[in-house]
Amino acid sequence: MQPTSELGGSILKARTFGSMGTVVSLTIPAGAVPETAASADGGLDDAAAAVERVFARLDEIFSLYRPDSEASRLARGELSLREASAGMRDRYADALSWRLTTEGAFSPERPDGVLDLSGIIKGYAIAQSGEALRSRGITDWCLNAGGDVLVMGSPVPGCAASWTAGVVDPQDRSALLSAFALCGPGNREAGTRRALATSGSAERGDHIWTAGTGGAELIQVSVAAADIVTADVLATAIVAGGAAMMDRATDHWDIDVLAVRRDGQLLATPAFRA
Amino acid sequence: MRTRAAVSAALASAGILIAGWQSGIHVADTGSAVASAATDTTGTTGSTGSGGTSGSTGSSSSSGTSGSSGSSSSSSAGGATGASAKAAATYDGAVVQTRFGSVQVQITVQAGKITDVTALQLTDAERKSVQISNRAAPLLRDEVLSAQSADVQTISGATVTSDAYLNSLQAALDAANL
Amino acid sequence: MNAQLLSTRPEVRRGSRGAANPFEGQHRRRLLRADLLTVLFWASLAGAVALWLADGGAAGFSTLAGAFTALGIVAGLAGMDLVLLMLLLAARIPLIDRTVGHDRALEFHRKLGKPALYLLLAHGILIAIGYGMAEGLDPVSESVALWVLVPDMWLAYISMLLFIAVVVASLVAVRRRFPYEFWYAVHLLTYAAVLTALPHQFSVGGLFAEGTWQRWYWLALCIATGAALLYYRVVQPLAATFRHQLTVKRVVQVSPGVVSIEMSGLRLDLLAGSGGRFFIWRFLAPGLWWQPHPFSLSAEPLQFDAAGQGVLRITVRNLGRGSAQLASLKPGTKVAVEGPYGLFSTAARSRKHVVMVGAGIGITPIRALLESTPFQPGNATVILRGHSESELYLGAEILELCRQRGATLFHLTGSRPADVRTWLPENSARAGHRLASFDPKIAEADVYVCGPAAWAQNVLEDARDAGVREEQLHYERFDW
Repeated sequence: MQPTSELGGSILKARTFGSMGTVVSLTIPAGAVPETAASADGGLDDAAAAVERVFARLDEIFSLYRPDSEASRLARGELSLREASAGMRDRYADALSWRLTTEGAFSPERPDGVLDLSGIIKGYAIAQSGEALRSRGITDWCLNAGGDVLVMGSPVPGCAASWTAGVVDPQDRSALLSAFALCGPGNREAGTRRALATSGSAERGDHIWTAGTGGAELIQVSVAAADIVTADVLATAIVAGGAAMMDRATDHWDIDVLAVRRDGQLLATPAFRA
Repeated sequence: MRTRAAVSAALASAGILIAGWQSGIHVADTGSAVASAATDTTGTTGSTGSGGTSGSTGSSSSSGTSGSSGSSSSSSAGGATGASAKAAATYDGAVVQTRFGSVQVQITVQAGKITDVTALQLTDAERKSVQISNRAAPLLRDEVLSAQSADVQTISGATVTSDAYLNSLQAALDAANL
Repeated sequence: MNAQLLSTRPEVRRGSRGAANPFEGQHRRRLLRADLLTVLFWASLAGAVALWLADGGAAGFSTLAGAFTALGIVAGLAGMDLVLLMLLLAARIPLIDRTVGHDRALEFHRKLGKPALYLLLAHGILIAIGYGMAEGLDPVSESVALWVLVPDMWLAYISMLLFIAVVVASLVAVRRRFPYEFWYAVHLLTYAAVLTALPHQFSVGGLFAEGTWQRWYWLALCIATGAALLYYRVVQPLAATFRHQLTVKRVVQVSPGVVSIEMSGLRLDLLAGSGGRFFIWRFLAPGLWWQPHPFSLSAEPLQFDAAGQGVLRITVRNLGRGSAQLASLKPGTKVAVEGPYGLFSTAARSRKHVVMVGAGIGITPIRALLESTPFQPGNATVILRGHSESELYLGAEILELCRQRGATLFHLTGSRPADVRTWLPENSARAGHRLASFDPKIAEADVYVCGPAAWAQNVLEDARDAGVREEQLHYERFDW
């Protein structure tokens, strides 16, 4: 297969797998993975397997689509929150704290009262995977789980180039609305945009319940932030809470937002300007 | 002598109160009419107010701020009427004191109506001014950073199911890199 | 005490016109000052509210929630202003002392206690209601939210509790049950209450936010009050103590149960003319140093030389836990002094005629006043009241002074009648005597009264019946 993705002479390699009902893609520039003796891509396969394990483990606990997961047992009432695992309780606490700071726009509880942490688990899985990759010495990568992106380093290792993520047009999924540079040149500090998460009301958005008038004001919201959980939660919250939540989010968090209104009008923070 | 004291005290107090009242009305007539007029329009001032919360949010909601000391919410929109004849013009209001600190509002007036309200200055927990310029504003499609599929390494979109993935741009990218 | 004293007499004020009233100018000025203070008092309250008005606060009344909040803010401003005024009244500022007298200032201070507390309580409650209404919370939840979420509010709640404690402990019903020291300790919490109330005033709400002129005004007010308290209650007394270097010289038994304490000291020329005014004495002996005693001098300071070296004297009765130990004071004990305070002196004179009425130990300031206050022979009457001659303390000295200066002296001894409320002894009351009987010119005289509270009230009543106006009555309340 001919690598068609090249950037400044660097070749990108990808691995994908399915998890949490969606597809996870791991893209790593060739040469960023320490080679193992087994095969030239052995390191990449190992890395992908590690990421897949992270996702699988979390899916096992939190998926409401698996009848034997802890989340399902909680939903059925077989388990009380007090008896739940520490991981479950920690994520629940995180979700509650997000509910407070978004003033209810993001909520881990479905309208029928069932605890659904899917809004926060995917981001958490991505973050954990990032740690797993970093611990393997891989510091240039791009992880995309169902449209939520977290990057580290650069697609051209050692270079100042940043990863570029395209934002899909919700009204034509074969076209892009815009692009966003992730992980600004030359630094890996917090405060730069390393994560880009997109939420939409039209797609599979079981964890978004919009209160009030029928139909969401914003049909797609992309949030770029320093960490993926923040980006993910705020994107969800803004779709649920509308323009008011968007203003609140941009006031209180260091993020950039690109939102699409129901009538197709775009709203964006200055960083999305050409 | 007691009557003298009583009368003088009453006069002095009345004078001081009236001076304060007048000064307050004057404050309302200038910039703060901006904030007041904004309250009459949509709930945008609401977000101004809530934006002014210190880091620990939670208890503040929009209407609370305009009700408390300082920010006048009822005075006539006298400042705005003078702008009727002009085309869209923006006015910066005076800095208004609210429960959480100072707020400065900018309004855009078109044909005598306020069409946009922006908060220019909010204060954070240390009561320092924070320039708010990072709000999302309307953009035209050709004003955003443009992107071609060939220039990006990954695609962000609302979560797709595994089936929809097969037809997505991301799948194309991954296929190229596998 | 030798009648030939070197004490200086206070100069008769400018503005005297011979036979005309030499005290008229002084009196007019004092009344003017009193009126000015009254105006300042109310103006300051109006000013506190005007701060809020000038900020456009009146606009808050457009909504119900805003109205509650606005009222709450006004209550808080007025309440805090009252608290500052109360502190100023208790600060022993000389201007206030020589205008209305320290005792009147404290009386007014006490009267302001409950209104101030009510205003502060209203402030808290109305704000909780107002903010709560605006946010859709009930007042209790809003109070909790304020406590948890807004910085410095927890201090404000503590301050509220402290204020309540201070006012409750000062209620007469409570004060009676506990020793003075307990009340004093609780009262000191006022400083803590004020300090904990300050932060939220400057950090919450926009009225005193940085950059507003209101902030400067309020800061200046608070700082000025603190400075006044510090200077007049701490610095000046310390300076006086070090300046005069008072040491107990000897303790003399005057009568059964009454002793005179003589103290030697320096720069006593500065204390000349204090006859009738009181000082707060602290005898620096083990067990006594923490007790403050308010006593008047019982004679003008006796000066030996131009440097002001001399002797002071107070005469006290051995009653009460505090005073009983004074009889056993050792010579050489150092004395810390605060004062002089009080308007029971020549500074309060408004007429050229003077009548002095004293009973029991209250005779002692009369003795000092008699020595120093100016009057022409024939223009003074002194009335001493006691159960028996031996209770007319310092009677011999007073007799000698009256002879020297040409004052008319009356001794009224005997117990009071059982059935009638009067200040006179039984035989006088039966004879139909009244205050005017002793001095027909009393309606045009300054009347100084000193003695037990109930008895003194009877004297004052008699004086008012005789046509004496309030401004001519001078009575030092010793029960504070």
